[in-house]
Amino acid sequence: MLEDAVVRKVLGAALATGGEWAEVYAEDRLSHNIRLEDQRVEELVTGRDRGAGVRVVKGTASAYAYTNRLDIDALLEAARVAAAALREPPAAEVHDLRRREPGVRHPVAVDPAGVQRTTLAELVRRADAAARAYDPAVAQVSAGYGDVRQQVLIANSDGFSTLEDRVRTRFVVQVVAARDGVVQTGFDGPGRSMGFELLDEFPPEEVAGRAAERAVAMLASKPAPAGEMPVVIASGNGGVLFHESSGHGMEADLIAKEASVYYGKQGKQIGDERFNGIDDATIEGGWGSFVFDDEGTPAQCTVLFEGGVCTDYLTDLIRARQLGLPASGNGRRQSYADVPIPRMTNTYVLAGTDDPEEIIRQTPRGLYAKSLGGGQVNPVTGEFVFGVVEGYLIEDGQVTTPVRGANLVGDGPSVVAAVDALGDDFTVKEGICGKEGQGVPVGNGAPTMRISRMTVGGTGGPA
Amino acid sequence: MTIELDAIVERLAAEATGGEGVEAYAELTTETSVSAFQGEVERLTSASSSGVGVRVVADGRLGYAYTADLRDQGLRECLAEARANLEVSGEDPGNVLPEAAAYQALDGLFDVRQADTSPERKVALALDLEARTRAADPKVTQVESARYGDVVGEVAIASSIGVKGSFAVTHAWCLSIAMATEDGQSQVGYGVDAARALDDLDPGPVAREAADRAVRMLGAAKPATRTVPVVLDRMVAPSLLGVLLAGLSAEEVQKRRSLFADRLGEQVGAAGLRLIDDGRLVAGPGAAPFDGEGVPTRRTVLIDDGVLECFLHNTATAARGDASSTGNARRGSFKSSPGVSAHNLFLEPGELDQAGLLARAGEGLLVQDVSGVHSGANPITGDFSVGVSGLWFRNGELAEPVREATVAARLLDILKGIEAVGSDLRFTTGSIGGSSLLIGQMTVAGA
Repeated sequence: MLEDAVVRKVLGAALATGGEWAEVYAEDRLSHNIRLEDQRVEELVTGRDRGAGVRVVKGTASAYAYTNRLDIDALLEAARVAAAALREPPAAEVHDLRRREPGVRHPVAVDPAGVQRTTLAELVRRADAAARAYDPAVAQVSAGYGDVRQQVLIANSDGFSTLEDRVRTRFVVQVVAARDGVVQTGFDGPGRSMGFELLDEFPPEEVAGRAAERAVAMLASKPAPAGEMPVVIASGNGGVLFHESSGHGMEADLIAKEASVYYGKQGKQIGDERFNGIDDATIEGGWGSFVFDDEGTPAQCTVLFEGGVCTDYLTDLIRARQLGLPASGNGRRQSYADVPIPRMTNTYVLAGTDDPEEIIRQTPRGLYAKSLGGGQVNPVTGEFVFGVVEGYLIEDGQVTTPVRGANLVGDGPSVVAAVDALGDDFTVKEGICGKEGQGVPVGNGAPTMRISRMTVGGTGGPA
Repeated sequence: MTIELDAIVERLAAEATGGEGVEAYAELTTETSVSAFQGEVERLTSASSSGVGVRVVADGRLGYAYTADLRDQGLRECLAEARANLEVSGEDPGNVLPEAAAYQALDGLFDVRQADTSPERKVALALDLEARTRAADPKVTQVESARYGDVVGEVAIASSIGVKGSFAVTHAWCLSIAMATEDGQSQVGYGVDAARALDDLDPGPVAREAADRAVRMLGAAKPATRTVPVVLDRMVAPSLLGVLLAGLSAEEVQKRRSLFADRLGEQVGAAGLRLIDDGRLVAGPGAAPFDGEGVPTRRTVLIDDGVLECFLHNTATAARGDASSTGNARRGSFKSSPGVSAHNLFLEPGELDQAGLLARAGEGLLVQDVSGVHSGANPITGDFSVGVSGLWFRNGELAEPVREATVAARLLDILKGIEAVGSDLRFTTGSIGGSSLLIGQMTVAGA
C-alpha cells in the first residue's frame, strides 16, 4: 500500500518536534452490503474507503492526524499536523523497518469480492422466504449480508511494520411477528473472520428460521416479573453479559484512570473457583479475531479470570507502558480516522461441567434468559442493564411461560461472584461493540450459566 | 489542495445517460478534538476527510456506491459500481429522485469565528474545563474525561434533474465527566455544552454540572419497588424521544415496524403535548437549508395537543405513501443513501423549570441517568424497560440517591402520562432537544 521509504519519511517528520514514538496506520477498505426489506432487495451498496493516520506519542500524551489521501504530500502534512502539538528538538529516531511475521492466520476460502451480485440477492431472498414460511404470524422480514476486505499497514518508529488483509463476512436476519395485536421481534446474525464460505456454515434458511422462531415464541409472552431471583442464561448470552459487565472494566484505559470497578482487583478472588474468562484474538475465523491488533501487536489470548481470580487487564501500547503491564494486543480502532484504545476481541466465559438441562431442573423458581439484547454498562460502578429479548419463567425446575419486557440489572463483580453453575455447552454470539464512538467487531461466548440472585426489571409486578 | 465539492457533484450528475437519474452528494469535514487529563493534553486529533456518494435510479430501481477517493478514476469507478448495483435491486415506486426546488439559505449555520479559532485556544479550553471540573468539589477525585471537539463541514449536492445546492456548517462542543468518590463508592456525572463556535462555549457551568451530578449520587442505594411520579432530567429525555422518533419515520410505518402505524389522527400523548421537528432551527445541531437529497427543510408538527398529526417523509416514502416529503431525508454521511430522520426534534417547552416540576409532583423520583435504552426500548413493540439512577424527592426537594433500579412501561402509556414539559429545553450534540418531563406514575423496581 505504501513504500517503506515513504513510511520512514513520514515517521521522521512526525518525530521532528520531540515525540518519543510515532506510528503510521494506513488502510484500504472495500465493502459490499445488501439489504432486503419488505420482500424486496432494497439496496446493494459498494463502498471504498481509504486513508491514513499519523500518531505522535510523548509519555501518555498523543497527537493524531489523519487524511483520506495516501499520497506522500498528504501523509507528510498529517505528520506535520500531529507533530505540531509538540515544540521541542527531536528526541527519537526512526529505526529501519522490519516486517513482523504473522503468528496466526484466518483463512479465506472464497473471496467475497468475487461473488456475483445476483448470488447476494438470492441469499437475502431465500432468508425472506424461509422466515415467512416458518409461521403465518411472521409479518415482516429484513435480511442483510455484508462483507468487508480491509488491508491494513502499520509501521512505527521502533521499526516494526505489519501488513494484514482482514476479511469479515456477516449475515443477519430480523423478523417481526404479529398476532392478536401483539408484536414481537427476533434476530440472528452470525459473522466470522472468513470469506463467503460463512454461508455454508450458516445457510440463510437456518439463520432466518432462528430469527423467526424467537419472534414467534415471544407472541405468547406475558409481562416479566420484577424483583430479585435466580437467572439462568442460555449458552452464548452469558458472554455478552460478561463482556459488558466485567470485560469493559478490565480495559486498561479505565484502569489507568482508576475509573473502573476492577481497579486494584488483580489477584483478588472475585468468583467461584470454577469461573474462568478469557479474551482471545487468535481464535481461527473468530468475528473479533485478527492477526495483529491495530497497533501491530500480535494477536494473543489474555486470561481475565482464572479459578475466579481476576488476572490480567486488556492493554494497548500506551496503557501497557503507563501501567508497566505487557502489551496484550488489544489496541483496536474502527478505522484510520480513529485513535486505538483498549478493546475486547473474542471474550469468553469458559465452559464448566454442569449439564445445562440439570441447571434448570435444579432451579425451583427464576428467569430463563434465552436471548439477551444489547446491554450498557457504567464501568466506574460496574452497573449494567440488559434487555432480555427472549425470556421464560422457570417454575418447579421447568421452563414455562414466555415473558417480555424483562431486563437484568446488576454490576460486574457481583455477577461473577454469583455464578453458581456453568454448563458443559458453549456458544458464541457476534456483535459490534461501541466505545468512544468507535465500533469494532467482537465475539462473546459462554456456556449456559446460572446467576444465583439478580435484579429483574419487568412490568408484571413483584415476582 | 482545495477540493471543489460543487464541481465534483455537478460533473457526476452530468454523466447521466437517457433513462437514468444520477445524484451525487459530497462532504468535506475538518475536525479537531482535544482531551485533557490531569493538567496535560492527553490526546489531540486533527483531520480532514471527504467523500462522495452516488445514487443512480432507473425504471424504479436504485443503485448506491460511495468512495473516499475523489480522483477522476475513483469517481468513475464509484458511478460504475452504483450502476451495477442497480441491476440487482428490486423495483419500488420510492426509487425516484426529488424534483429541483428552491431553498432558502440559513443564516448562522456557519460561524466564521470558528473557522479562525487557533489550535492553542482549543487546547486551552480542554485544559480549563478539566481544571474547573476537578476544582468544582472536593469530592471529585478524578476527571474521567474533559474534551473539546469541533467540526467545520461543507456539503454539496447535484442531480441530473436539476437539484443543486451547497452549504457549510460549524459546530463546537465540550464535555466533562466527573468522578466522585466517598466511602469506597464512585459515581460519575456529565456536563456538556455545544454551540456554533468555541467563543460561545462556557466551560464553567459544564464543570459544575458534571461535578454536582457525580457528587449528589454518592451513597446511592438500590431502592425498594414503588410506584411514584417520575421526573426525567433534561439530559435523559432525548433517550425517550429517540425511541419515539424511530416510530415516527414513514419508512418504519410503511414497513409495519412502528408502534404509531395506523394511529394517525389518534390521541397518542397527553393533552397539550406538542412534538415538533424543525430543520430550520439554527439553535439545533441538525439545522440545514436542505435535507440529504436537496429538498428544502421546514418545521413539522408531528404530535399536536397529543394527537398524531403526521410522519416524517423523504422523497421515497412520500412517493410510496402518496404524501409529500417533509424534507427529512437524512444521511449518516456520504456512505449511506438517504434514510428518514429528524433534524431537530423536541417537545414544545412548558412553563415550569425542573425545580417547578419537582414542586408540582411533590414526591417521586428524579431520573438523572438511564441505561440500556438501545436494548430495553423497542419502537416496534412499544415496550420500554430501562435501568435508571437518580434521586428521590420529597416536598419538591431532592433527597437520597438511587441506583440499580429499573423502570418499565409501555411507550404510549409514558407519552399519555406526561403531565408537564419543562421550560428548560436545550439542544447539545444530538438531533434531539431535551427538557425535563414530569410523568404521572411509573413503577420503579429495585430490590
